[in-house]
Formats: sequence, C-alpha cells, structure tokens
Amino acid sequence: MIDQWERNVPVYDVPIWTRPFIGLCGLGGLAILFVSYRELAGLGPASGMNDAYAWGIWKTFNTMTLTGLGSGAFAIGVAAWLFKKKNLHVVMRTACLTSFLAYLSGLALLGVDVGRPWNFYWVFTPWRWNLHSPLLEVAVCMPTYAMIPLLLENFPPFTDWLYSQKPQYRPYVKKSEEIMIRFYPFIVGLAYLLPAMHQSSLGALMLLGGDRVYPLWQTPWLPILYVWAAAFLGFSCVAGTLLFCSLVWKRPIDRDVLVEMNRITAGLIGTWLMFRFADILFRGVINLAFKFTIYAGLFWMETLLLALALWMLLDSSRLRDPRLMFHAHLMAAVGGMLYRFDPTTLAFQPKPGAFYFPTPIELFISVGFVALAIAAFMFLVKVLAILPAPMRLWYSMEARENKSQRLAAITAAD
Amino acid sequence: MTLSRREILQGITFGTASAVATGAASGAVASGVAPSEYPDAPPAAVAMLYDNTRCVGCQSCVSACVEVNKTLVNAPLPGIHHTNQELNATTKNIIKLYKPADGKSYAYVKQQCMHCVDPACVAGCMFKGLQKDPVKGIVTWNSKVCVGCRYCEIACPYHVPKFQWQGFNPKIVKCEFCKERLARGLQPACTSVCPTKAVVFGKRTELIAEAKQRIREYPGKYYQDRVFGEIEGGGTQVLYLSKVPFEKIGLPDLPPESMPEKYLKWQKRVYSYLAVPTVLYASMVAVIRGNWKAHQKHMIEAEKSTGLRSQL
Repeated sequence: MIDQWERNVPVYDVPIWTRPFIGLCGLGGLAILFVSYRELAGLGPASGMNDAYAWGIWKTFNTMTLTGLGSGAFAIGVAAWLFKKKNLHVVMRTACLTSFLAYLSGLALLGVDVGRPWNFYWVFTPWRWNLHSPLLEVAVCMPTYAMIPLLLENFPPFTDWLYSQKPQYRPYVKKSEEIMIRFYPFIVGLAYLLPAMHQSSLGALMLLGGDRVYPLWQTPWLPILYVWAAAFLGFSCVAGTLLFCSLVWKRPIDRDVLVEMNRITAGLIGTWLMFRFADILFRGVINLAFKFTIYAGLFWMETLLLALALWMLLDSSRLRDPRLMFHAHLMAAVGGMLYRFDPTTLAFQPKPGAFYFPTPIELFISVGFVALAIAAFMFLVKVLAILPAPMRLWYSMEARENKSQRLAAITAAD
Repeated sequence: MTLSRREILQGITFGTASAVATGAASGAVASGVAPSEYPDAPPAAVAMLYDNTRCVGCQSCVSACVEVNKTLVNAPLPGIHHTNQELNATTKNIIKLYKPADGKSYAYVKQQCMHCVDPACVAGCMFKGLQKDPVKGIVTWNSKVCVGCRYCEIACPYHVPKFQWQGFNPKIVKCEFCKERLARGLQPACTSVCPTKAVVFGKRTELIAEAKQRIREYPGKYYQDRVFGEIEGGGTQVLYLSKVPFEKIGLPDLPPESMPEKYLKWQKRVYSYLAVPTVLYASMVAVIRGNWKAHQKHMIEAEKSTGLRSQL
C-alpha cells in the first residue's frame, strides 16, 4: 500500500508525560535556574566569554546556527508558494512549528546573552536605528518575523483545535479564519521576505569581524552563503523531524513528498557547494585549504559532510529508504550547522593567546533552551494537528472511542 | 578632484550646493586619500599624536587617566597603584613595552581608543549606543541606549572596547577623549601630564602637519617615514610615530579604506532606501496571490470530497 500524506493529524495513543519529555523539561528547568544566576552574577562568572571572544555559544550557536535549522517555514514555504511545489503544502505545519520554536528559543537566549536587555525598548523607536548596522537588521527583523508572520502561520492548527473544543467558539473561529484568509498572501510574503533579510544579515554580522574570521570563511558573499545554507538546513530539519517522528511513533511515511524534499535539498546543497568553491577559488585562498591547520580540517569536514549528504540524499531518493533519508538529512544538518558556526567561533581568531570554551553553566543553558523547544514540539504535536498523515489514519482515529472524540468534532464541516 | 557618486547623490538629496562643497573641502583636507563614499574627519576633529621616540614609559598618563575617569584601581598590594597588563574593563589607557629578542631598539606604545574617522564599532552599533561626535569626532558611549550586545568588541580592528563581565549592570569601557575636560576647555588627562610631550593634543589637521614636520626634520628616524592613522583603516584621530614597525607595537596593517567601507559596502547598498526588499516583497506577494487562488479552489474541492474541514 502506498501511503500518501493528505491531512495533518495529531499523534494519538502516546501519553504526553513520557520519560524523554520529562527529561527535556528537567533540562529546561535547570537552564532557567542557571539563567537567574547569570542575571545576578553577570556574564563573566556564568560564561566562558571574554573580551577577545565577546560572543559565546548563546549567540553563535543557539541564535546564528540554530535559526538556520529553523528556516523550514521560510525554505519550504518558498518552494510551496513561489515555486508551486504543491505536495509540500502538507508539511507546512510541521515546518512552521519547528521554525517558530527554534526562533523563540534562540531569541529568548539572545535576551539572556545581552548585557543590558532593559535598553532593548529602543527597537520601537526608528529614529534611534542605525540603518547600516547588520545587527540592527537582525534585531528588528528577527523578532518581527517570529512574532508576526511566523506566529500567524502557526494559527491554523490552533484555530482547528479551538473549533473542536466547544461549538460556541465556532463562529469566532470562522470569522478569524475569514480575516486571516483575506490577508494571507501578504502575511506569507512577509514570512519569506523577513527571513531572507535576517538570515543573510546573520552572515553579514561576521563581515565586520574582518581579519578575525579566517579567510576561508571571510568573504563578501558570506550573507548569500548564510541564507542559502539556511534554506537547505530548513529543509533538512523538517524532513529529518518528519522522518524521526514517523519512525518513532510508527506513522505512515509518504515517500513521494520526502523524495521531493530530498531532491530540493540536494539541489540546494549542490549549488551551495559550487558557489562556496567558486568563491574560494576566485578569492585565491584555496591554498589555505591544503595547509595542515585546524581551519583546513574544519573546512574539509564541512565540505565532506555536505558532499556525503548530497550523495546520500540522491541515493536514498533512488532507494526510497526512509532510514537512509534520515541519515542523509542528519548529515546535511550537521554540515550546514558547522558551516554557520565556524566563522563565528571555531574559525574566529581574535588574537594570539585568546581562548574560549563555554562553561558548564553556559552549556546547560544552551542545551536547556533547545530542550524546551523540543519539549514544546513533543507536546504540541500530540494536541494539535501538526504532523502529516494519510486520510485513513484520520478516520481510524475518529473511529476510536473516547480518545479522539473531542477531535472528531473537527470533522463536522458544518 | 572628482566627485564620487555618493557626494553627487548627497547634493541631489539635500538640494544644496553646500553639501557638495563640504564634501570637496573635507576631501581636500586629507590629502592623498582617494575620494570615497565614506566620510573624512570633521574639520575641527581633535586628535592625539603619540611619538614613541619621546616616550620614557613613566606611566604618568596611565595614572592620570585612572584619576580622571575614576576607573577602578587594580592594586594587588598596597602602594602599587596600577598593575594592569592590557586594556580592560578597568583600564582605558595603558603604556606597553615592546622588547625584541635581540635586546635592541625597545619601544613603548600607548594604547587607548583610536577614535577612528569611520569607526567600525559605530557602524555595527544597533541603536547608536556608540556615536561619533560630528564636530570633534570623539567616539562616545551612551549607557541609556547600549544593549550590551558586544558587537563593538567583535568589530573594532584595534581590540579597544571592553565589557564589564561582572555584575548585573555591565558597561562598555573605552577612552572617550576626556570629553568632560574638553568641554571645560582642558586637555585630555593623558596629554596634559606627559612630561616629555610624547603624547600631545591638538586638532587632527595640525597634528598631522606636526608629525610630517618631525619626519622631514629627521628622515629615517621613524618607521617608513609614516604617520600611522593618517589613512590607515580610513584614518584615526590618534596618530602614531614609531621607531619600530607598527605591527610590533600592536598597530595592525590596515588598508586605506575603513572597516565599514571595506566590509559593509554591499550591505549598505542593498538596503539603501529599502528599495530591494520592497521590490522583492511586492513581486513575491504577486506570485503568492496567483497561487493562492488555485490553492483555495483545491481546498474547497477537498472539503467537498472528504467531508472534512479543510486545513490551511
């Protein structure tokens, strides 16, 4: 039987309070405890940051790297809405939710990272903006994106849920959906413009680092490479999440949709790799890749991971093997994340003798905020209709007594 | 001189010939600098000239700085007043010694904010927490605006701005040219106390002329017969004369264009007047609206065929 994803269906029959969920919540709680310590004691005692490495993993990993992974709503949305990949519409809810949670977690940690967060209200006063700062672009654009278009993109599953809860909510839900539908193309347009802007500006941040960023990474094309990496990272994150959830919760897999995603991801990685090598060749720094340094090692690690991912993506599409697909996307995600992380930290060399390694508290906070995002995802896919499934799953769920009675109400199309 | 595109645009934007005239005048001040899109030092810019052939390393300037700026005295033992090795959150000014392995030609260097003509820290700063004074050209920090993101530390090619890593109310610490003293008609603390006039205060144009005069008087005495800060990194308002190579005393080898000019040129162009994003948005919305109608039709059909509420 060929499975097709036709509808978004909640994950039934799995309790919310599972052991992994409790563990993730525990990590998150611990992180919040450590955050209160950081707020009182300052950044010095809590983190390994110093004047040479002024930016630590909270910025460089949780925000600059992981929001690349959270660009699924942007990348898949562009493919579905602008390039008419119609069969990708069914995975949009997963994409929007993973993106929203990744951004929320990254932005929250940004608030922990900055030293004087109470001054952030100047973001509401455009006459205070330094329009030529890439950081301003990020600071304005990123929260705007997460809080307006991305949040609105996440409304439909929530309104569906409200609709199923009580009949008296239904007129309001319908009214709000009508309004939403009228403005939807404008919201969606914004949801693609803003990430294109701030994901490239995240790369532009490192331009002012100048000589501190190793020449294999420091290029005027850094913004383009960054946003391009965000595109395939978004695809890999969503495809990987879908595959992982389907394998863990034993849900049917639509191989056609996944092969489509694989092909697009492979195309994005292929062009990205060509662009990266062309840039390195034209700038004449290819010789640095053949020196016996840690930087050359990192460069080849990125390149090989992505080349391997590219090959595995194509191979798994041919074999239509979900496990191989998952490993391919994992490889692509690690390679792409490494590329986005390198110029900020590993290939960032402020001056001789400078050293940075995150403290345990810093690591706990970083991991804890990611854990909170994953826990929120695990909770929401069990309550809301996020993950795609075949239509028969919906009916069989509906037929089951009690468990899905509340949600069965959604089926009444009035 | 030829007018750059930027200057012509400025003239058009403000509709005044004076803007063009100012551009031409300031371009002429820094002779030898190719006209660029990026600014020259204001005509009344203040400056310091540090000459390490005159410095004896007495550190009077360091203690004067501590006294005037009330930065914390980092004294491990009573009686020792200042033992910092580097610029840090309690040190805005420091004298360092360069001692080569062969023991010959040692040299001192004074480190503090360079007050760049086109500063990278100001270019990166989100809400203008760091600002360049349009008259005197001093780069100052504003505690009411700074978010504490530390981008200035990432951007500064001289590694000058420092962050207070302790406590819940951290500040950015760097030399602000004793702006309060300047406002009272006084010199900065460091230049006012220097016993050998190794560091002197004045207008930038005058100090560049003074430095060149010294080079003319003693050709070959100074490294490359060059004033560091005249054009390096777009120019600075702290100028250096050195008997040893500049790289040896921690002054990086920078191209004549400023950091913002070198690295943010395209970012600036792409976002000027938000023209590119606006066009991109308009064309995307147009395409999405076209596809949206087809999608809605598809949704209505699916609703009919399955009898289920459609999912957006």
